[in-house]
Amino acid sequence: MNITILYGTETGNAEMLAEDIAGELEAEHAVSVANLSDFDPVGFDQGCFYLMVCSTYGDGELPGSAQPFAKAMEASDAKLAGIHFAVFGLGDSEYDETFNGGSKRLAELMLAHGAVQVGERVIHDASGSDLAEDLAFPWAAEMVALASERIGEVA
Amino acid sequence: MNRSVAIIGAGPSGCYLAQALLKAEPELAVDLVDRLPVPYGLVRYGVAPDHQGTKAVIRQFERLFERQGAHFYGNVAVDRLLLDKLRQAYDAVVLAAGLSSDRRLGIPGEDLDGVIRAGELTRALYDHPDAARLPKLGRHVVLMGNGNVAIDLLRLLAKTPEELAGSDLGPEATDWLARSPVEEITIVGRSPAAKARFDAVMVKELARLSGVTISVVDPGTSDEPEGAKKIEALASLTAAQGGPKRIIFRFGLTPVALEGDGSRVAAVRFRDNAGMESALACDTFLTAIGFEAGSDVLQRDHLLGEASDPEAGILAEGLYTAGWFRRGPRGTIPENRTDAQVLAARILADFDRAPAGRKAGRAFLASRPAIVTYTGWQRIDAAERAAADPDRCRRKIASRAEMLQLAARIEEPLA
Repeated sequence: MNITILYGTETGNAEMLAEDIAGELEAEHAVSVANLSDFDPVGFDQGCFYLMVCSTYGDGELPGSAQPFAKAMEASDAKLAGIHFAVFGLGDSEYDETFNGGSKRLAELMLAHGAVQVGERVIHDASGSDLAEDLAFPWAAEMVALASERIGEVA
Repeated sequence: MNRSVAIIGAGPSGCYLAQALLKAEPELAVDLVDRLPVPYGLVRYGVAPDHQGTKAVIRQFERLFERQGAHFYGNVAVDRLLLDKLRQAYDAVVLAAGLSSDRRLGIPGEDLDGVIRAGELTRALYDHPDAARLPKLGRHVVLMGNGNVAIDLLRLLAKTPEELAGSDLGPEATDWLARSPVEEITIVGRSPAAKARFDAVMVKELARLSGVTISVVDPGTSDEPEGAKKIEALASLTAAQGGPKRIIFRFGLTPVALEGDGSRVAAVRFRDNAGMESALACDTFLTAIGFEAGSDVLQRDHLLGEASDPEAGILAEGLYTAGWFRRGPRGTIPENRTDAQVLAARILADFDRAPAGRKAGRAFLASRPAIVTYTGWQRIDAAERAAADPDRCRRKIASRAEMLQLAARIEEPLA
């Protein structure tokens, strides 16, 4: 399957995780990794599955590198029907009120344009005891399995 | 020919710079030099011990040494003489040594007993090897400053022992906080609330404290979204009620003098925006108003004064600067990351323009005595984690001698 991992990052933690997930999936899939800051919403491709890895910054906001993408999505009336995506969030429960707001916002933006979310949004807590990859690797494997059924049905 | 870069200061700015350089040019020899035997600078010694999530960036920095070929040379104090030698040995040298001295207010009474500066206090609380002893606190604290460092100190002084579980606060500091006589903390900002430097999330976090009663005096209003967010965060604090420690936020007050009772501070006089003076009684006056270069063996002011392009972080041919050392004590970890990426691109562009010389590179540092390598740091790190109390994630070693002993425990080949 063609997989694109898109990341939104502020400190680089989400970027590192995106690259690590790519490393896990590369043996069996064609995987590319891109920063959301370099990704144009017109570039979404129905033949590709999108894994989105996104942190939260400030008061539950999107991280810096996802902001240009969010602006472009808000300004665009692009229809993303048939685009399949899954979201993994990075956050810190020290700031519980806004914990993982960035990934939530990203999923909402995708859904508002008609994209199809695969699975549930999984979130990692930087103040918890799990390592991000210990949640993210099984998540990615599960999402890819789910998506291959779905994308198969559409095709 | 392979180029070499020495980065002075293994804090977040230096580490992000190394990361950006190695991402673009994996073959570069990038070395991080620190005056301490341990890496990560303010991530280890400036980020509060109860903000472990913020410290998670360390996992990125570990990769520099574990996978990307960067070397760590700790316990190396760089002065102007050594800086000149490093410039001869490396194709580029970057000063990312930060700013470690507390700014002073410059008002009468600043040397009274009971006047404590945030840098001194955080070094003691966070087990920095150069820390002085933990100071004696009184019952009524005035905390001057509205940045995130001030909010960190406010939070630590206000937390119950249970609220520090999971942190890496050491036993001595834990005991000092548990026995603190503090009854009331008045946190004072010179600016109005809308212009305060703190991040709104840092203030909102205070609403969860169990042992406090918080009041906010005259936060005002703001039409700007950033200002409104800060005022809204302050408004959320009225939820924190009923606890024994009183916290009062005040704004728009400039300190003009500290008054003593004998040798100890007893009051601080303020002037407000209308020019009216008032006084607050206190027995402890804590300042968190920013940092400067201090003893400055690197002669920062001189270097910046002579710089060919200080805004871009270019001091001279092959000599650069990044982070707080360049910009002053402003900007969070992610801002330093963005900065480092810009500077890395500039350094690499300069390499492309100039022919490579024959430089000694890392062989120069590797031959110095008593350096701590990354392997040495890994031993210190392992010892600190292993010694952690059950409700702590780490027990930092504060003694430089003990660090050096641990680091050198097994002979290792020089890389």
